[in-house]
Order: sequence, then structure tokens, then C-alpha cells
Amino acid sequence: MNSSTSSLPETADSGVRPGSYYGNGIPYLPIDGYPGKIIAIEGTDGVGRSTQIRLLREWLEVQGYGVIETGWTRSELMQPTIELAKASNTLNKLTFVLLYATDFADRLEKEIIPALKAGFIVLSDRYVYTAMARAGVRGVDRTWMRNLYGFAIAPHQVFYLKIDEKTLIRRVLQSRGMDYWESGMDMKLGDDIYESFRAYQRSLLREYASMADEFGFRVLDARRKISVIQDELRRQIGAFLAESDTSSAARIDGSPEGQR
Amino acid sequence: MTFSLLHATDFADRLLYNIVPPLKAGMIVLADRYAYTAFARDAARGVDRRWVRELYSFAVKPDMAIYFRVPIEVSTDRLMARRVKLKFYEAGLDMGWSSNALESFRIFQRKVLDEYDRVVEEFGLSVVNAVGSITEQQRTFRKLVTQHLDIKETDEQLDEQLA
Repeated sequence: MNSSTSSLPETADSGVRPGSYYGNGIPYLPIDGYPGKIIAIEGTDGVGRSTQIRLLREWLEVQGYGVIETGWTRSELMQPTIELAKASNTLNKLTFVLLYATDFADRLEKEIIPALKAGFIVLSDRYVYTAMARAGVRGVDRTWMRNLYGFAIAPHQVFYLKIDEKTLIRRVLQSRGMDYWESGMDMKLGDDIYESFRAYQRSLLREYASMADEFGFRVLDARRKISVIQDELRRQIGAFLAESDTSSAARIDGSPEGQR
Repeated sequence: MTFSLLHATDFADRLLYNIVPPLKAGMIVLADRYAYTAFARDAARGVDRRWVRELYSFAVKPDMAIYFRVPIEVSTDRLMARRVKLKFYEAGLDMGWSSNALESFRIFQRKVLDEYDRVVEEFGLSVVNAVGSITEQQRTFRKLVTQHLDIKETDEQLDEQLA
């Protein structure tokens, strides 16, 4: 491992342009000049990602933007396999990481890149950073992980909904309870699911925090009210879109701006 | 890309369940194709060469790797003799080079063989000329393995087995 540091993808802050590949990318799929945008919403469980995305979608569509949503393990090809592998307990950290990467590659080639080409806004419920956080917690080599995701496209904006451990635990318990994988039970941190969940989520939060600078996360406090967070998201996304598409490049039907 | 990662996942699974345990037990693992096949096949499909090599950096480096080399005509003829229909991905039909399976296979296979040549040089694979008869090939193969493992093996033994 780490035989060639030269192939390390550069970080968002050190020069990877949003909308281009982190690393060498997919040689047979050049994406330069595609008009679409990727906006990623990151964060652990219980931060309200899906609610925020639903509201954002409505807001964007009313303004005439074409929007698609994509989310972790939603690839048609891989979802059944991933569920099966999780259920049968035969996953180890390497196959776990690779299955997720395969799922992402499938969605990238079949959903994300075509949408970018057609000028859509891609709202991504979690992005490669979640995969990196989960792998990081499990001790997978960081350099290798970053190289692996060298075929990923740097999003135009990444929002990180940040939450503290205590609030996270309460929210998860209130909604659907703790499950095996989200509690990191595969890591054998302990028999007690509560303790395991706490330790696992704590290390996840640390991983996300360590990536914030590297990948230029826009950090939002997820403990605030849904509407407050949504307003902040709209403000930042609105400003970005206004700046980048005065030429209406990211619109699918040319409906006039500011009709809300 | 997806194709490449699916194969890597399968390989990782086999590595951890079928390859590493016997190695730990001091056994010999005979691998019919290894990461080098992925290097050749994925690069022929247009995936970044360096990326695939980095991807497989979790693989155990084989103590010995042997490449059975054949010219494209021979491999095509053998395949045709064995069965009529080429499989979709095997023929590289996903690449859209040609709608004719055989033609597509030839184009794809030529690219794969070129990539293999690159791999042989880069990773120092031993080459067996696979045009010859099975007996000849097996003889060369055993000689290579014998040298490597430092075991005693005679041609008579082989002749008996192959008789």
C-alpha cells in the first residue's frame, strides 16, 4: 500500500475544482463543461438530512431547476446485494468498503453524470465522505480510500449537518432505535448495543470533523430547528446558483428567475 | 468502473476467505487468474491504469505469477471450437466497438493482450508459450514451479500422469 503518493487526489481546498474528478477520474467519461451541479448533504444519522433534501427539492423545482436525488446504497444494481451481505454477516471491512464503492460507481455512471450532462441539480443524501468516515473508523488505510474514490466528482457544495453525540443518541432512540450496523456492532466494541452505538457514533463524528477542512465542508448546526437550517441552506445554495448560472445553464426549461 | 469494482469486491472476499487462511496454514494456493487479470481487463475497458493498481494494493503479492501467452488468432480459434456463443461481457459488447460478437471479441481481446504485455513487464511475470501442446506447457510450467519451490520432479512422473 501507499506505493505511489503521486496518485493521491488533491483535496477540495488545495485545488480540485468543484464539478471535476478528485483523482484521475473515469478516463472514458470526460465531464468538463457539464452544466449540472452536485450539492451534497452530509452528516450522521438523526440530523434530518432527508427532510432537508425534500424541502430543498421542492424549493428548487418551483424555481424551474431540474432536480434528481441520489443516496447511499440506492443503486439498483447493488442495493439487494448490500442488504444480503449485511444480513448474512459475511462482510468484512474490505468487502464492506468495496461494495459501497461499487454502489457509488453505479450511481455515478448511471444517474449522477447523465444528470450533470443534462444540467440537473443533483441533491446527494450523503456522499463519499460517509464512506470515508465509516472506513476510517474501521481502520482502513486513508490514502487507499482517497485513491479509491479518485473517480468521484468534487461536489459544488457540501453541507455538513453537525450534531453532538448526546442529541444524536436521543434522536435515533426517538425515531427508529439503534440497528446493528449503525451501532458498529461488527466492530465488536462491546456487547452492549447502547455503549457500542455511542462509541461508534463518537468516532464517526471525529472522522467527519477531520474531513471538514480537507474537503471544504460548510458546517451547519443540526440542533437548530428544521426551518432555520432550511433557510440557511437556501441562502447559501441560492447565492451559489445565482452566481454560477446567470446564463440559465442549469435550468431545464428556461422559466424566469426569482419566481417564488 | 462499476464492473471493475464488482470484481474487486469479489476478489477481496475470496482473498480473505479462500486465499489468506491457507497461506497462514502454510499451504500452496493455486490461483486461476489473479489481480493481473483485472489490470489487463479493466484497463482495456478504459479504466485508469494507476487507479486499478492502487485499488488492488490490498492483494497479497503472489510468490510466483505465470502468464500463458497466446496470439489472438489462437485464443479466438480455441474459444470458437469450445462453444458457439460468446458471452456479452467476455466479448466486450458493453463497449460498443462492434455489434458483431466475434468482431467485438477480437478488438477487445487485442486490447487485453496488449495490457497483459504491459503487466508482464511491470510485475515480472514468467511467461509460458501457450501455443504448444498441453504436455509441453505443463512441462515448462512444472519446471518453473519446481525451480521456485525447490522440489524434485521428473519428466517421467509427468509422462505417467499425462499418459
